Amino acid sequence: MHDPILTDKHRIVRRSVRDFCEKELRPIAAQIDQEARFPWEVAEKMGPLGYFGIQAPRELGGAGLDTVSYAITIEEVSRVSAAIGLCLSVHNSVALYPIVAFGSPEQHQRWVPALAKGEKIGAFCLTEPNAGSDAGGIIATALADGDDWVVNANKVFVTNGGIADICLVFTNTAQGSGRKEVSVVVAERGTPGFVVGDLEDLCGMRANPVTSIRLYDCRLPKANLLGKTGMGLRIGLAALDTGRIGIAAQALGIAQAALEEGVRYANQRQQFGVPLGNHQMIQMMIADMATQVDAARMMVYRAARIKDANQPVTKAAAQAKLFASEAAGKVTDLALQIHGGYGYSKAYAVERYYRDARVTRIYEGTSEVHRMVIAREALRETL
Amino acid sequence: MSLRIIVCIKSVLKASHLGGPQRAVGNSELNPFDRPALEAAIRLKDTMNASVIALSMGPEVSAEALDEAQAMGADEAVLVSDRALAGSDTLVTAKVLAKAVQKIGAFDFIFFGTRTADSDTGQVGPQTASLLDLPFLGGVKKMELQHGGWEVHRVVDTWEEAWQVQTPAALAMDPRAFIPRPVGLVGLSQVYDQPKLWQWNVADLGLTAEQVGLTGSPTRVADLKKTTHDRSCRIIEGNPLEQAEALLEMLALAGKIGS
Ligand SMILES: Cc1cc2nc3c(=O)[nH]c(=O)nc-3n(C[C@H](O)[C@H](O)[C@H](O)COP(=O)(O)OP(=O)(O)OC[C@H]3O[C@@H](n4cnc5c(N)ncnc54)[C@H](O)[C@@H]3O)c2cc1C
Repeated sequence: MHDPILTDKHRIVRRSVRDFCEKELRPIAAQIDQEARFPWEVAEKMGPLGYFGIQAPRELGGAGLDTVSYAITIEEVSRVSAAIGLCLSVHNSVALYPIVAFGSPEQHQRWVPALAKGEKIGAFCLTEPNAGSDAGGIIATALADGDDWVVNANKVFVTNGGIADICLVFTNTAQGSGRKEVSVVVAERGTPGFVVGDLEDLCGMRANPVTSIRLYDCRLPKANLLGKTGMGLRIGLAALDTGRIGIAAQALGIAQAALEEGVRYANQRQQFGVPLGNHQMIQMMIADMATQVDAARMMVYRAARIKDANQPVTKAAAQAKLFASEAAGKVTDLALQIHGGYGYSKAYAVERYYRDARVTRIYEGTSEVHRMVIAREALRETL
Repeated sequence: MSLRIIVCIKSVLKASHLGGPQRAVGNSELNPFDRPALEAAIRLKDTMNASVIALSMGPEVSAEALDEAQAMGADEAVLVSDRALAGSDTLVTAKVLAKAVQKIGAFDFIFFGTRTADSDTGQVGPQTASLLDLPFLGGVKKMELQHGGWEVHRVVDTWEEAWQVQTPAALAMDPRAFIPRPVGLVGLSQVYDQPKLWQWNVADLGLTAEQVGLTGSPTRVADLKKTTHDRSCRIIEGNPLEQAEALLEMLALAGKIGS
């Protein structure tokens, strides 16, 4: 694929990631979805290659690449297995990145190298049963006690929950004053009081072990506070800016995969004596799918470019996430339609793409929340 | 002991159309048969003190293949690129590579792939070796350091031969024996930050435009044709012995086997 938006180095990143995923991930992608199994055998190979530290500095064991390379990597991995794309997106952008951006030098040494090499897996624990879109509504608490925080939290829908070693936990540090002061404390698996809940039985993304994470009077050293107390929402929003580019890239990868399957099937299946692709209504579907994918791709890379230029990216990232996730919904739906009854069967991959695409409109902010974010920014711009 | 290995690699066409295909961004890739040669060199580097130089002659886009070679573990890369080189045949390619090797200086081994995915001659390795007066072995599947010298195993048809090889020498690597490692993000990022790419043109190698390219090449492509094979299927009846005999007779009558 020739893409004038990309530089040579981005093209090589794409080719290398695609080669790796076709060889290592493609043969097991359907199987890990059906078995709801995380493929450690592939993750262990991805580690030394830099997939778990795409943007982390090289001095700290990362690959030190730019946001465009990050987006391409997530796109290409998700094209083959969106559940593994999800693992990498969350690990890189909302677990590792905030530690790099807001952590102290000691915290960098403690956590970044192991995370960047994939020796440890990261997770982001914000959502609670009664605090989803309304992130400020969290009720997790951290009480200061000597050199420790004593944390109580019930975090749900934690991507990578079943395999995570290092969790960013959003919690209230206002010490029972009735105020709300959101802060991020890092919880390591194995700490007494750290409990991993059951696997969520999800519609899609089944190879990702999404679980709840509960902390019961869990004592975490004060040194595990990321940034300062009260910085939680700022850290969360900064993380979500890159996170959204990751989820947008993920949706793009799924849509690209669905487009490829749709085209392949339209060329190969014959009805009424000609390939499906000769029927005008199928051509219209293909045209719409190809256009959605290209538009999404440009928005994703644009947001990544803006991030790389250190410009405010909130609106562009939110737009890319909103558009790409909705495009993925449309494109996977049409790809399934082109496959007819076979598309509704697990014998073809489009069924998995259709299920995987759905959640990209929900996590890291629903489409509705993204429209709120975009409208707020746009209204401010026109004033 | 430290080892210096030059690996010759080519950026090849992924798909070609009749009538003068152009190698350009988006339709080229590192020759899949050269990856094993790189892998063989980098494996030596993994186990001993060795440096690896990737060398390529080709249009600018070949720099991408050299980037990949460096991301895999090559220490430096040399690109010989010049408009005058367009249309060079295998002999001129070998001449240019030989000149570049001489300019690089001292080395212990030159590694080649067995052939290229877009031209498929397998000539460039042996030709370069003979121009440089180097011993050459193809189909190499294993190299071992034995009492200070190299023992090289290679496969010829179904035979395996072991050779004592004195350096400098040129080897072409059996692709099945050296499954290449994937290109990693860490490696790519290192190349982008500190690229070690030397770019030479024809004059840098002491050659003139007339000596290379279409004019310098004795090979003339008279014609290019698309060929098609019509396949048909025939079921042979009878017990296995009768089937085998009928098949042999058919193949013999069609002049495909024996005489
Ligand atoms: C597979 C998966 C993985 C996840 N991974 C993580 C993770 O790693 N970490 C994490 O912290 N969370 C994670 N989540 C949680 C996810 O971010 C939340 O589900 C999401 O933010 C929505 O919250 P909710 O489910 O509570 O829905 P709600 O907030 O209850 O929303 C319900 C509906 O109401 C709409 N709505 C809500 N408020 C408004 C409003 N003001 N105006 C208009 N409409 C509104 C929403 O858009 C939605 O349509 C994950 C979820 C899933 C499904």
